[in-house]
Amino acid sequence: MVRRAAAGYTLVEVVVAMAIFGMFLFVLAQLTSEMRSVERRLPVNMHKHPQVIAVLARLRRDVMDATEYKSSHDGYTSSDKVLIVETMINGGLQDVVWDFQTPGEVHRRSYNVGVPVDWVARGLPLTFSALEIDAIKLNPRSKWAARITATDQKGRLAIDTILQPRATE
Amino acid sequence: MAVRAPPTWRKPVGEGANRSFIGRGVYTIARMRDQRGLSIRGDRGFSLVELLVAFLILTLVITMSMAAFVERNKRLQQAGEIILAYQALANEAEYRRRMNYVGLEGEEPSFVSSTEVLAPLAPYATIVSVTQSKPGVKNVLMTIRWRNGQRQARLELVRVDTGGSNLW
Repeated sequence: MVRRAAAGYTLVEVVVAMAIFGMFLFVLAQLTSEMRSVERRLPVNMHKHPQVIAVLARLRRDVMDATEYKSSHDGYTSSDKVLIVETMINGGLQDVVWDFQTPGEVHRRSYNVGVPVDWVARGLPLTFSALEIDAIKLNPRSKWAARITATDQKGRLAIDTILQPRATE
Repeated sequence: MAVRAPPTWRKPVGEGANRSFIGRGVYTIARMRDQRGLSIRGDRGFSLVELLVAFLILTLVITMSMAAFVERNKRLQQAGEIILAYQALANEAEYRRRMNYVGLEGEEPSFVSSTEVLAPLAPYATIVSVTQSKPGVKNVLMTIRWRNGQRQARLELVRVDTGGSNLW
């Protein structure tokens, strides 16, 4: 009897093995390419990033309770990288500066009876910004909204949120 | 050809091996395998049934792994798309909330807010419909459809007639 190891494999066996292997390779290549195409198309989901969530939550509260946007305060000047709001807190008013000027960081400086208190979030997208503070101006009586945007590392818009001060009249 | 345990298994070396429980145990198992002839298997190969069962199990495992992998990717993609869609819906709601109640039906039937964030979903369609559910109440339904209408995200806003002066 000829032993298997000595006889080797027949052409059919080799072809079948190669075909099965080729099918797996094809499926893997398809899956990988599909995954890459999704990655290319969709921006990074920053909403699951705890620091981003923290920034958006605090920003939302400050803007929703805002009584006015200020053009300047304590050396800061309002721009698409600096948002200055006067917001209600504990029955009083407080000036808050949101500073997006440092790439990857967001600084919130609030003034408690003139004394600045800092809060910093790090590890953020590089282009976090308060793009517009007049995003919505449909009604002359309505307060201006702030439009917050952020792009991921590849420049894709990942966050685009309009925050509107609530009615306080 | 019998497959034998490596020399270091069959013959633990040094005094430590004699005292070591592990060393003695491994030696005993190796001897048992030799005596029972379990490793003779390699000489006669596998039967067709054995091979078929092995392939069946392998195929099942691979198929299930691939299905789980594909499903995971699909869900990740859908989650990413929905997050973008709901950002656009929330922004549009801010606009529609501030439009004059009386003229709501006559407003733009597509989104008036920026839809830049929806770019990865292109081609997509944005639709806004207004229906009066009861006197003094209008429902503003905002819809985003993409993937040729196969996927959609909706947000309904209830507007109430506040007597001419918008709360906002």
